[in-house]
Amino acid sequence: MKMGRHLPTPNGTEMTGATALVKSLEAAGVDVMFGLPGGAILPAYDPIFDSTIRHILVRHEQGAGHAATGYAQVTGRAGVCIATSGPGATNLVTPLMDAAMDSVPLVAITGQVPSAAIGTDAFQEADIRGITMPFTKHSYLITNPAEIPGTIAEAFHIATTGRPGPVLVDIAKDALQKMTKFNWPTSINLAGYRPQMSPTPQSITDAAALITQSSKPVFYVGGGVIKANGSKELRQLAELLGAPVVTTLMARGAFPDSHPLHMGMPGMHGTVAAVTALQKADLLITLGARFDDRVTGKLSTFAPHAKILHADIDPAEIGKNRHADVAVVGDVRLTMAALIPALRAALAKNKPDLTAWLRQMNSLKSTYPLGFDTPDDGSLSPQLVIQRIGQISGTDTIFTAGVGQHQMWASQFISYEHPRTWLNSGGAGTMGYGVPAAMGAKVGAPDSTVWAIDGDGCFQMTNQELVTCALNNIPIKVAIINNESLGMVRQWQTLFYDGRYSNTSLDSKRVPNFPMLAESMGCVGLACERPEDLDKTIEKAMSINDQPVVVDFRVHRDAMVWPMVAAGTSNDEIMIARATAPDWDSQEL
Amino acid sequence: MKTSRRQHTLEVLVENEPGVLARVAGLFSRRAFNIETLNVGPTEDSTISKMVIGVGVEGHSLEQVIAQLDKLINVISIKEIVSGKIEEVNDTQPDYQN
Repeated sequence: MKMGRHLPTPNGTEMTGATALVKSLEAAGVDVMFGLPGGAILPAYDPIFDSTIRHILVRHEQGAGHAATGYAQVTGRAGVCIATSGPGATNLVTPLMDAAMDSVPLVAITGQVPSAAIGTDAFQEADIRGITMPFTKHSYLITNPAEIPGTIAEAFHIATTGRPGPVLVDIAKDALQKMTKFNWPTSINLAGYRPQMSPTPQSITDAAALITQSSKPVFYVGGGVIKANGSKELRQLAELLGAPVVTTLMARGAFPDSHPLHMGMPGMHGTVAAVTALQKADLLITLGARFDDRVTGKLSTFAPHAKILHADIDPAEIGKNRHADVAVVGDVRLTMAALIPALRAALAKNKPDLTAWLRQMNSLKSTYPLGFDTPDDGSLSPQLVIQRIGQISGTDTIFTAGVGQHQMWASQFISYEHPRTWLNSGGAGTMGYGVPAAMGAKVGAPDSTVWAIDGDGCFQMTNQELVTCALNNIPIKVAIINNESLGMVRQWQTLFYDGRYSNTSLDSKRVPNFPMLAESMGCVGLACERPEDLDKTIEKAMSINDQPVVVDFRVHRDAMVWPMVAAGTSNDEIMIARATAPDWDSQEL
Repeated sequence: MKTSRRQHTLEVLVENEPGVLARVAGLFSRRAFNIETLNVGPTEDSTISKMVIGVGVEGHSLEQVIAQLDKLINVISIKEIVSGKIEEVNDTQPDYQN
């Protein structure tokens, strides 16, 4: 790879390793980073003081990591977080694992104890490279200051190309302190890393042929389509074939929810139409998706009649969980761009009739729309709160979520029309992701409204970053869907543990007082517990743009997420409500 | 496909850098691949080391083991040693090391 950016600092200039680090980050095009200083990284914070890079001082390193992820998810560029050695570095472990599971380009810089002290159990020493090896795309330990510029250049290259992922750069304190000559590389050539961007012509020909042999195809769309900026090509491809589309949790927004071909989200809490489309299909056109267990359910019964066309940039995903009849390795946008003319030519000779298939799927879509019961005691329905926030704030709004019931409702009851407007922790399931990710998203997209849809459990894990937001003019909005429980765990206890609610009650309608907590952190705190106050509370929150806003939506406790495919069971056993299966007999399948 | 046999031997060229052995061993451990034998030695190029790995393939395809190994940035090339002679790995996947 050629490093095309103009170099503000001439190579050969004498400077400390710390200055070389900051100059390298500038040369890599970094405009913002999230971090918190400490002893081992302290030399780097002196040149950071003079840098053009905006450094946002977080209150906990986990917040820095998720903020960098939120920034990366909305901008498509690498997010950067920085922390000191030992506990500072280990507080980045969860965000690194989260970014690896969701293929987020992240560069994490950590200080390390001086090189002579490594291995002595020195104060604040942790082998962070060893700890994070399973879930970093690559990692470095630098003890020689001359290696800093080249390593930073490599780290950004690896994080942002191929299948994106997190890269850790651990730098010994003495390497930051020693003098070196700045040497930003002119090109990067890694013998063991050459991701294949363009699919082979043969694989495209095979893919087009497989599609024309199918009479029940489905587009199974994953987060890779968003990473590759492939929404436009996806829409062209889907409309060319006229086949139903499903978008996974990571792909919400890759294809407009309002599009008539869209059957919704598949998986454990997917729509009946989307789940059934996969189960009844004779071909899955898999684009940047990885046959995750939350999508497939019991793998041996997943899509039993389907051949698999699998397009992914990561060759190791091909055949990992499900055999691929045709594999297309490459950037999924380039794959779709190549497939469109190839398929158009193939369809001109042999166009399968998909009318009956689409009619069946549309019948399921209209018979089993997503819905929810309104509590009969006049209390607030959590799904209604989330639905109204989506409707009132509009489709240009960026939404983040924590993990649990509120996350699933936010994926179900908000209509996503654009890519990069839905950020969540899909693979890792990281509770507490919502608030710091919203902070990073707002920094990356300052002109967009950013709502964190959070749970009362999640919010209590990472809300300290609201202080960071208040002090740094990052006016996010937070909706706490307060059901005073670890709601998803409670739902499983209701369904699978005879309603024995062991340790899932948080009492968060008593303690803490969320509006007061918000006010104490420099935010506006609001509360709402009656349906008749809902719209005006959301509108009030929408009207405040100079401060973060936190709304405590005090909702009904017993609402559950439906539909549901219980863990480890087949997608064919989807339930639309407790002990209620779809009426298959009335469907022509 | 060479998945009919359970035992395979891979010759893996890696960059001679600290931590490479840990990356390979960690990958086998966390993906539940079986290492039967592992030898590491120098090559004529001091920047490159050679690993010879005996892989027990049970519940995984050899292709998956190779594809995951190949994702390690420090891994330069992977070949399978078949009955005394060394073969370029030529699995069912497209050529991603072009």
